[in-house]
Order: sequence, then C-alpha cells, then structure tokens
Amino acid sequence: MPGGGRCPDCGSTELVEDAHYTQSQLVCSDCGCVVTEGVLTTTFSDEGNLREVAYSRSTGENEQVSRSQQRGLRRVRDLCRVLQLPSTFEDTAVAYYQKAYQHPGIRAARLQKKEVLVGCCVLITCRQHNWPLTMGTICTLLYADLDMFSGTYMQIVKLLGLDVPSLCLADLVKTYCSSFKLFQASPSLPAKYMEDKEKMLSRTLQLVELADETWLVTGRHPLPIITAAAFLAWQSLQPSARLTCSLARFCKLANVDLPYPASSRLQELLVVLLRMAEQLAWLQVLKLDKRSVVKHISDLLQHRHTLIRKAFREGTLEVEALEKELQGQGPGQGQGKEEVGNSASELPEGKRPASPALLLPPCMLKPPKRVCPAPPASTVTGDENISDSEIEQYLRTPQEVRDFLRAQAAGQAATSSPNPP
Amino acid sequence: MDQNNSLPPYAQGLASPQGAMTPGIPIFSPMMPYGTGLTPQPIQNTNSLSILEEQQRQQQQQQQQQQQQQAAAVTTVTAAVQQSTSQQAPQGASGQTPQLFHSQTLTTAPLPGTTPLYPSPMTPMTPITPATPASESSGIVPQLQNIVSTVNLGCKLDLKTIALRARNAEYNPKRFAAVIMRIREPRTTALIFSSGKMVCTGAKRRRDVGLPWLHVPLHFGVFTSLFYLGRGWEHGVSQWMLHVLPSPQARRLVPHKEHEEQSRLAARKYARVVQKLGFPAKFLDFKIQNMVGSCDVKFPIRLEGLVLTHQQFSSYEPELFPGLIYRMIKPRIVLLIFVSGKVVLTGAKVRAEIYEAFENIYPILKGFRKTT
Repeated sequence: MPGGGRCPDCGSTELVEDAHYTQSQLVCSDCGCVVTEGVLTTTFSDEGNLREVAYSRSTGENEQVSRSQQRGLRRVRDLCRVLQLPSTFEDTAVAYYQKAYQHPGIRAARLQKKEVLVGCCVLITCRQHNWPLTMGTICTLLYADLDMFSGTYMQIVKLLGLDVPSLCLADLVKTYCSSFKLFQASPSLPAKYMEDKEKMLSRTLQLVELADETWLVTGRHPLPIITAAAFLAWQSLQPSARLTCSLARFCKLANVDLPYPASSRLQELLVVLLRMAEQLAWLQVLKLDKRSVVKHISDLLQHRHTLIRKAFREGTLEVEALEKELQGQGPGQGQGKEEVGNSASELPEGKRPASPALLLPPCMLKPPKRVCPAPPASTVTGDENISDSEIEQYLRTPQEVRDFLRAQAAGQAATSSPNPP
Repeated sequence: MDQNNSLPPYAQGLASPQGAMTPGIPIFSPMMPYGTGLTPQPIQNTNSLSILEEQQRQQQQQQQQQQQQQAAAVTTVTAAVQQSTSQQAPQGASGQTPQLFHSQTLTTAPLPGTTPLYPSPMTPMTPITPATPASESSGIVPQLQNIVSTVNLGCKLDLKTIALRARNAEYNPKRFAAVIMRIREPRTTALIFSSGKMVCTGAKRRRDVGLPWLHVPLHFGVFTSLFYLGRGWEHGVSQWMLHVLPSPQARRLVPHKEHEEQSRLAARKYARVVQKLGFPAKFLDFKIQNMVGSCDVKFPIRLEGLVLTHQQFSSYEPELFPGLIYRMIKPRIVLLIFVSGKVVLTGAKVRAEIYEAFENIYPILKGFRKTT
C-alpha cells in the first residue's frame, strides 16, 4: 500500500487495509502483523469523510444518562432522604426528573434551573400524595430563589401535563404546629408557656377552619394564617399568663420564623372573632376588644357555626351600595339594613346584637384605592391625519443635538480621565 | 446531605416571606390597577348585548323605511351636536368601516348621509323595549386595558441616530438592543429595532376631550330631549337607564374598534417620526398581537372550589400568586381570576375573543358565588 508505512516487525512496505469483522485494520501482507486497528464501530467511521459529529446532534444523548442527569437524580434521592419521605416517593420523584430531562428545553437549561427542577419534582410527588410540603421549605433547602422556583415549577407542570392537587391545609396545620418547640419543658421555655400538643393542634385547626369560612385564606399564603391561628390558640389556652406575650416572641420561643404577613392575618382574625362575640348575649355586655376577646375564644369556637351565620350575611358590594342609597333617600330609616340580609334577632331594640356585617374577603371590604373617572368615548379611526407640528415636537433641533453631543463628550472625558490625587 | 437532625422538618418558614406574598412573577401579565375600567353593574332583567342584536336586526330590516324620518330627526340632532361640539375634531365619514367579526360584538354601520359620530346614532329614536334576555348572559362587558401590536417599517434603521435626534427616545444597547420611544397622544410606548420592526404597546383611551353627554352611546334622541327639557342629563339618564340599561357607568356598550384604531394611529405616528428622522420608513403588516381586558363580577369567588372542579384548565397556587390562572381552550385566552371577583383576560388577538371568553367563564363563576 502506498503511503510510506512500514511494518514494525519485518520492515516491509506492503501494508494492506483490511476489514476484520468490520474492524478496519492495517495489516502487513508479508508477516501478517497488525500495524494499526480502528475502533469497532463509531459515529466517526460511519460518517462519510470522517467528519466530526457534535454530541448534541448525535443520538448519544438519548441513549446514555448524562453526568448532569446522574447528578440531578442523586440530588433528588438525597432531598427525599433529608425530608424523611417514604421510599415510594423517591422512585416517583426520580421518574418525574427523568421524564422532565427528556425534553430538550430542560436538557439545555442552566445548572441553576436543573437544581431547582430537583425541588420541583420532589414537591410534585409530595403534593400528589397529600404530603404537606411548602415551596418555602424547598427553596430554603435548595438555597433557591422563589421566583426561579415558581417559573420552573409552572413550566414543568405544563410540560409534563400533570395534575397537581392543592396543598392540604389540615395536614399542613398538623405538621407545622408539631414543629413548634412548645410541647416539652426546656431551659429557655418558661413553665407557663408550655402547652399540650393535642389541645393546641385541635384549637388551631378550628381557628384555621374559621378563617377559611370567612374568606381569610383564599388567595393568601397559608403559612402566616396558620401561624396567627396557632398563636391565638396558644394564648387562649392560658390567657392570664400568655396575653402579655407578643406574636414575635411566641415565634422565637417556638423556634419558628415569623412570616411577615402573620401580624395582619392576626388582626383580621381578631376582627372576625369580635364580630362573632357581638352575637353572644353574655359577651355583648363585656364590651370586648382585641385583647380581651382572646379569653373567650373557646366559647366562640364552640358555637362558631351559629355565630358565623348570625354575625355575617351574604351580599355583594353593590347590594351594600344599593342599601346605602335607600337609606340615604328614605328619611330616618335607621334600621333599613335589617330588611336586607338575614338577621334573625327577636331581642328588643336596646339589646339587639349588631346588624350582620358583610361576609367578604378583606380586599373587597377595603375602600377602592383610587376612583378613576370614566374616560369619555372618543372616536378614533386610525386613519386621521398626523400633523407635522405634532411630529416635530418629538425631534431635537440641530442646536439641541450639538449640545447633547457636547455634553456626552464632556461626560465621557470626565469618566475616562484619571482621578486627581 | 446525611445530616438529618440538623435540619428542622418541613415548614421552616419561608425563604422570603415577603416574596412569597407579592406576585412578582414575570410570567404573569401585569395586574391592572383596581378602579380603572369599572364595569357597569349587571342588569337585573335585560341583556345589553341582546339589545344591540335587536338594534342590528331592526336597522337592517327597516333601513329604507326609517331613513326619511330619521334624516329629519338627524338634522335637528346633528345640528345640536355640531353646535356644541365645535371643538371636536371632525371625523372622516368614510374612515369608519366597522367590521362584524363576531356575532356578539356588533358595530352597526352608519346610515348614509349622517355624520357618524356614533356608529348607530339614529336608529332608536324611541327606547327599545328590551329583548328577552338570553339565559345566562352576564350583562357585564370587559374593558380593554392594553393592546400590543407590531408593524414592519420596511427598512434598516440606525438606532444611534434615532436616539440622538429624537427627544422621546432612550437607547441603552448594553441593556436592550432597541430604542424605546414614547409619544403623548395616544399615550403609548414603542420598541424600535434595527431591523425595522417595531412593537407598540399601551393604546388605551384616556383623556377627557368632549362633553359629558357624549358618553352615552345609544338612544341618543331620548337624551337630547331630556337635555332640552332642562333637567340635568345625568338625572334623566340615570332614571331611564336603570330600567333599560346598566348604570351611567356603562360607557362601552357599543364595541367599536376604538382601542385597535388608537393602536394603529400610534404606530403610524411612530413611523412618521422615524420618517422625519430621514429613514425611508413604510407601514407594512400592522398586526395586533395581544389584547388585555379586565372586568369585575362583583361577588367573591371560592378559588379552591373552582380549581377542584376545573382542574384541567386551572392552576391555583396561593403560595405563588393570589389569583387563579384559567387557561380556556376555546377561545384560547388566559384568565386571571381573583377572590374579589375581578377577572383579567389576556392573550386575545381580536376583541371578540375577550367577550366570548368572559361569557364562557361567567356561568362557571356564578356557580361558586354562594358558600356552602
């Protein structure tokens, strides 16, 4: 064979290219020594002219599990173990990760996104088994940004076409409250602050249900409401000793983070309880305020279904507006409100409980932020003439252009010149 | 990763509780401020859209017969109109060719020989007895909040020159490879790219031009008669409209293509500016890409219930966003539904899709009106 190859054994130049079981070999035709041999089969050799094929364009990606996918799968398993999830969850989460990885958009995503994807798969698995895991927890564990997490989560749910049930509130209450460090005596916990777990759990659950019925839960993050409810439950179990403790101190004692909205949820819950208290005869005379109502939470919770029905009524803002109009027009119709709504009170006027308030989410009860005047109809055809003067106002005069260029040059000279010592 | 005891189980609070509560997620379209685009209260017994249908039919059938009567009435009324609207810019009579793009949204063609200040000014000289209401129609009309459109200027542009010679332009190539230009009337923003393509957003009617009684889209004759009677027009309107039409806040009962035309006018103005800067700009392929509308059903909605029954279309994650995202398939619109009853509709290419989507969702929302 021409080309100047020599057999290392016998020194002959008679080298023949031969294929032995599809393996190309360069063989000396004199002594049979194999000079070189190619790989058995490669994409290189299969391609004409031995052109290089990028890995991303070959089918190798689909056949092998890449290193980053392996790392991702390992992290999924680790996360499941850290959260102490049952072993079946692990397999499901791994399967989700693998399915997600088959999509090219995920495969080519940045490492940061693949990290977050680990958390998304675990979250979806937990949600489908009604295991109460919040996104905040996962983000804390992964050191991930909630914005990044939310984007990836929505994308993956849409991509895989999954049905993810909502977070189960009752389970979340149980899990979250169990994490409070209030149930065992410890040096940092005064004795009067220690509480029985079961009592606190049941009361917190009742308060959360109450919040749910009175529109305090829909549309809001569940955790601050549960924190506020747990605080009220804890306070009401021993009000004499605990009324002095604030929400922030309570969270510190219980060794949980205080979520920022929890204080406003607490106020909203107290308002609801006060309205309910107005319907109980023996509480009306006490003239409760937000602190003293805590002592009577057990009573209020006991009768909460009746009290909600009596203290609140269905209605919408327009019905309310209409009533106000009617009141304004009718002279001295002080109790006009009673005709609308279902206040079923037979007590004499003096002792009549307060007329029912509207049962609406807090965002509907607040006055509108600003009243925009209705802009009038103007007919625009889209084909109107555009006057030259109108366009001229948007163009710089030559003088302005010169001034601007000069200012720009001066600015650049100032930044580029070295600082005076 | 094996230190199980060092990490507290679940719910170790929020990574960023503040972040968890605020809807700062870029994938959602921006929230519209409450208070704008308040929709009329739902009518008790009539359907405004069926009134328009009634009108349309009447007009088409009786156009010939009524023309003479109305021409006479028109001249008196238009005389009144012209007296009082001397400031109003004259509208080209030929410019308006309203198109019927959906059976529900109706723009009635102006009668020949009349100045078409309104698409259907003269047909109902007497109040129309309301047609029997369609069974589930809501009577609420979503208001358009934003329109995004694109146009091709047809020539390569030098963005540096544009940014230098235009007053209303900003250009920061390190941040974004386009010039951001704004004009005041109509108040819009445009992104102008060096390839000559342009994106125009924000067309929404704003300013107070013209007289208050021009609000009233229909039943023109009745109002002028009340006006001449000396009573304030608002009193007459409010009394009369409560019977037939929704409250005086109803101003978009005649859905003609005003927003769309504003967007087109704005795009033309930008093209003119670029032309004046010395580029051979044309106005090719103007297309509306997205329309955003909003409205208020005025009752609270149990989002948890809605996501249970319509799971395949809804996505409700209170930890991420306070609203429910409903992806309607026909028409292909995304709705953001909030607990207060406010609904934002987006993703429409034509106005009719927004109206249709709202009419589809309203009966579903009504089902969640009462708590158990």
